[in-house]
Amino acid sequence: MAIRAFARAGVARAVSVPEDLVRLVTAAQRQDRAAFAELYALYARTVHGILLSRVPRADVDDLLQDVFLRAMQRLPELRDPAAFSGWLATIARNCATDYFRHAAPTAELPDDVPAHDSDRVEALAVMGIIRTLPVAYCETLTLRLVEGLTGPEISARTGLTEGSVRVNLHRGMKQLRERLERRPV
Amino acid sequence: MTGDYLWDRTGWPDPELVRLERVMSTLQYQPAAGTRSDVGHARPEQTRASILMLAGTAAAVLALVLVSWQQARVPRPALGVTRLAGTPTIASRPMGDQAQLGVGRYLETDAAARASVDVASVGRVEVSPETRLGLLSTRPGNYRLDLARGTVEAFIWAPPGQFSMKTPSSTAVDLGCLYTMTVDDDGVCLVRVKMGWVGFEWRGRESFIPEGAACVTRPRLGPGTPHYEDTSAAFRTALETIDLRRGSTLERQAAVTLVLAEARPRDVLTLWHLLTRVDPDQRDRVFDRLAGLVPPPSNVTRDGVKSGDREMLDAWWDKLDLRTASWWRIWKQQWRDNAGGR
Repeated sequence: MAIRAFARAGVARAVSVPEDLVRLVTAAQRQDRAAFAELYALYARTVHGILLSRVPRADVDDLLQDVFLRAMQRLPELRDPAAFSGWLATIARNCATDYFRHAAPTAELPDDVPAHDSDRVEALAVMGIIRTLPVAYCETLTLRLVEGLTGPEISARTGLTEGSVRVNLHRGMKQLRERLERRPV
Repeated sequence: MTGDYLWDRTGWPDPELVRLERVMSTLQYQPAAGTRSDVGHARPEQTRASILMLAGTAAAVLALVLVSWQQARVPRPALGVTRLAGTPTIASRPMGDQAQLGVGRYLETDAAARASVDVASVGRVEVSPETRLGLLSTRPGNYRLDLARGTVEAFIWAPPGQFSMKTPSSTAVDLGCLYTMTVDDDGVCLVRVKMGWVGFEWRGRESFIPEGAACVTRPRLGPGTPHYEDTSAAFRTALETIDLRRGSTLERQAAVTLVLAEARPRDVLTLWHLLTRVDPDQRDRVFDRLAGLVPPPSNVTRDGVKSGDREMLDAWWDKLDLRTASWWRIWKQQWRDNAGGR
């Protein structure tokens, strides 16, 4: 199985291999726990990016687990295994929505970041700016810049069309540059 | 050409974009040791120009990769704990909102406290009030907890055989999916499976518990006979009589009679376990009842089953149509392999 081979080799690329994905999802629907673990390994970064684009970073890891818990519980209801990517992305977005529905309004506390870790300090600042962009741009840019997915990979992992992803990336990047240039030095 | 690089990393890379990628990657998803990442930073074919442009960052990237690789090889010495309510303690000291549970340490909750333990990237265990939970191992592929008393709810998605929990009944447990486990003051453990499967093993005595079923383990006796939760109280009492070998021979015969009479088609799960657990003179009755619901494969004989022939028992198990038989085979094999190394 190509996906498993890539993953095991530790060089997994987000290459969409629908027939292999279908087999993996179908196995997970039959409660094959190893198959679900493979799906987790394959999609954790994507779900992480979707959540990071929406909720405070401190809560992302907890929500990541909630997303996969929901997915595991509902997987038998998924009629078309080939639609897994978009289905999982929707669960992740809904989880983020529920987070704000149930959580008391809070301000995100600054990370406990050593002052000398300038990259991380800047990353948190830029992430704050990305979150001010329209949500479609925010999610796509987070997956591209933070999680390291390419446009075609984002499309394959979220169920969005390549055209939508391309538009979101270009327009989002343009707006991000403008806001970065306007930020005080 | 910037657009091409933004899209799929081909073409001329915009230096500012490359710098942003490097900076923002510090927030990237970090799989725990022993787990795999879903996407690598595979670089498509580069133009000579882009290669030149990236050459300056290559050494830094390589260094990062080496550091990450080395970190990934180091087992986590502790698991993260999140306070959910009250004041849980770790090693008898009150914890804050976040803490680490080290190997050999115990997390305890009183009547008002609750906590959640992140088992690396393989799952999560929620700790109820009045519970004492210890950490025995965090080696990748071998996460082991010790439930001394109280209740936990666990959701584990690790591949089979990577997670286990010890209980006072000296039962090595390899668990999967979603379940609750309660240990009382006498060391008696009750597991209730909400999703997936749970396996118990103690001195060669095995119990396999599927979704919707429950099972009790007892000190010095090991795992009891699993049963679906919608069985009658009388059915469960009869199983307890059989498991504890309680009462006279006649009373145990009566218990077997009740179980056989009440058994529904789905209770083949319970009947299969009883094949080797009832008194020897009762095994024919269990064999016949189970055979009436699911005939044994042609290579399975009555004498073989009665004598506990593992291959024959497994062959019949496979025919019970419990949906996860093949998965269980793999799990059990890995479980045994892991147990051998513990």
